[in-house]
Amino acid sequence: MSNVEKILELFRSEVKIVNVGLEYFYKELKKQGVQAVHVMWQPRPKLEKDLEEILDKIL
Amino acid sequence: MPTVRNVVKKNFFRDSVQLLHLSEEAKKLPGVIDAAVVMGTELNKELLEKQGLLTREGREAGENDMIIAVKAVDGADIEEIISKIEEMLTAPTAAETYYYSIESAIEHLPGANLALVSVPGQYAKEVVKPFLERGIHVHLFSDHVPLEDEIELKRFAAERGLLVMGPEAGTSIINGVAVAFANVVNRGPIGIVAAAGTGLQEVSVLISRAGSGITHGIGVGGRDIKSAVGGIMTLLSMRAFEADPDTQVITIVSKPPSPDVQDKIINFIANEGKKKYVTCFIGGKDYEIPPVAKGRLVQTRTLHAAALEAVRMVSEDLYKEAVKKVFLPPEEVVKIAEAETSKLSEGQKYLRGLFTGGTLTYESLVIFQELLGDVWSNTPLNKDYQLPDPWKSKENSVVDLGEEEFTAGRAHPMIDPTIRVQRIVEEAKDPEVAVLMLDMVIGYGSHPDPAGAHLDAIRKAKEIAKEGGRHLVVLAHVLGTDEDPQNAAEQERKLREAGVIVLPTNALMALTAAMIVTGRTDEALVKSFYEKFLVGRR
Repeated sequence: MSNVEKILELFRSEVKIVNVGLEYFYKELKKQGVQAVHVMWQPRPKLEKDLEEILDKIL
Repeated sequence: MPTVRNVVKKNFFRDSVQLLHLSEEAKKLPGVIDAAVVMGTELNKELLEKQGLLTREGREAGENDMIIAVKAVDGADIEEIISKIEEMLTAPTAAETYYYSIESAIEHLPGANLALVSVPGQYAKEVVKPFLERGIHVHLFSDHVPLEDEIELKRFAAERGLLVMGPEAGTSIINGVAVAFANVVNRGPIGIVAAAGTGLQEVSVLISRAGSGITHGIGVGGRDIKSAVGGIMTLLSMRAFEADPDTQVITIVSKPPSPDVQDKIINFIANEGKKKYVTCFIGGKDYEIPPVAKGRLVQTRTLHAAALEAVRMVSEDLYKEAVKKVFLPPEEVVKIAEAETSKLSEGQKYLRGLFTGGTLTYESLVIFQELLGDVWSNTPLNKDYQLPDPWKSKENSVVDLGEEEFTAGRAHPMIDPTIRVQRIVEEAKDPEVAVLMLDMVIGYGSHPDPAGAHLDAIRKAKEIAKEGGRHLVVLAHVLGTDEDPQNAAEQERKLREAGVIVLPTNALMALTAAMIVTGRTDEALVKSFYEKFLVGRR
C-alpha cells in the first residue's frame, strides 16, 4: 500500500506552484493570488549531429 | 487596395496563447485591417488562407516557423507595422522575474509543492522527473506524452507517494486553487478523482451550485484508467481521500475504464474503502455493486447525476432542494421543448453540437445514442459515424472543437473562440438545422468573456435562419459559478438576451436538443430519461 502522507501534506498546505510551459497559466495563478514562479522553458535547439556528438563526449 | 504581407521567422517559437494575445494587439495597430501571428502549422495556414491573410512566403513556412501576417489599408506603411509587431514579439512579457531553469525556480519558491507542466509532450518526462525527485507533486497538462513515459513517471511518483495528475489533465482543484482550467467552487466534504477534464469541472460546479462543495479535485488524465497505466493515480488518489479527514464522499468521474481497472476500483471501494462513493463511468455498462459496499456506493451515468448523488450522500435535504431549484424539473423541460418545436419549419430536423469540452461532447454522444441513435462526430461512439470532414457537419452532428484537427499550433477553443464563431454562422446556413448546442466553459483558464465573444455570431446565425423563413433554436450550458471571474449569472444573462435558451447542465441540454429535433415532447419520455440518466443506482 502506497504511503499517502505527502498527498495529505499537499492537502493541508498552502499550494505553491512552479509553472513550466504556458506563461498564460502562470498569469491565471497570479490572478488567484497563488504563490507561483514561472520557468521560461524553450525546447532545446536542434544541433547538428556532429556538434551533438562532440558535446556528448565533452559533457 | 489593401495590402497583405507575410514575414516568416525561421525556427522561432512562442506558445499558442502568447501568439493569440499578440495577434489581438497587432490588430489594434493603426492602418491594420486584420492581422495574425501564428506558428506555421497546416491548420494555421489554412485558416490564414480563409481570412485572406496568406501569401506565398507564408505558404512556405514550416511548423517550427512563425508567420506574421498583416492586411493593411491602402497607403499604410506595412514595413513599419511589421517592425512594431516584431518589437512586441521580443519585448519582455511582464515586469516579473522569470527563471530559466527548474532548479533556480524551485530555489526561489521555498516550500513549492506542485508543478504545473505544459511543455510539448515529448519533453514532459525530462521536465517532470526533477520535480518528482525533489518530492514535488505534478499536474501535467501536456498532450502527446508517450505512453511509456506516462507509465514510468506514474510508477516513479507512486513509489514516493506523489501525484502525477495527467498527462492531458485539463483540470485540478487543490485546496481551492484552480489549476489550469478550473472553477471557483465551494469548499465542502466531497473529493473528486477524474480522468475527464471537463467532467471534473462540470461535477465540481454542479456540486457547488447545489449548495455543497469539494475538498479537492484530482485530474489523473484519460489514460490512467486504461489497462496499460492500470489506474495508478486513480487508486492512489482514492487512498489519499480515504485518509483525508475532511473528505466524506469520494466521486470518481471518467469514460468507461478498462475492465481490469474498473475491477480494481470497485474492489478497492468494497474491500479497503470505508467512505461513501459515487462512480460516474459515462457511457459504461452498469456493474454489480458488491454486497459489502451496498448503501455506500452509487453508480451514475451522467455528470449531472454524479453531482446530485454526491450531494445526496452529504445531505438528503440539500439534495431535495437542489433537484427543485438548481436542476430543472421534467415539466419545465417539456415546456421549453414544446415551445421551441412549435416554431420550427418543415424540413428543420437536425441538431449541431459545437463543443469545447471533450467530456461534455462525449456525454452528449452517450445521451444521443439512447435518444436518437448514432450521430456524426469527429469523436463518434460508433466508428461508422466518423465525420468524413470535421469542418463540415452532416445530419445530426456533434463536434469536439478541442480535438487535434482544430488545435494544432493554436490556443484551445475555450480560450480562442475564432473557429467556433465561424462555425456557428456556417451551421445556420443549412436549412435542415433546427438546433445549435454550445457549451460555455468559464473559470480560470478560459476566455475572459466567452458568451460575449459568441454573441455577434449567435445573432447573425439567427438572422440568417430568419431570412430563410426559419427559427433557429440555440441552446447553451454555462459551466461555471457566480464566483468565477466571468460570473456565470452574467454570462447566462448575455446569452438569454441574444435569444439563447440556457440549460443548467450539459445532460439537460442534450435531452432538450433531442426532444426538439425528434418532436417527442411527451412527459413520459422525459420521466424515463430522468430515471435512467439523472438518478443513480444503488
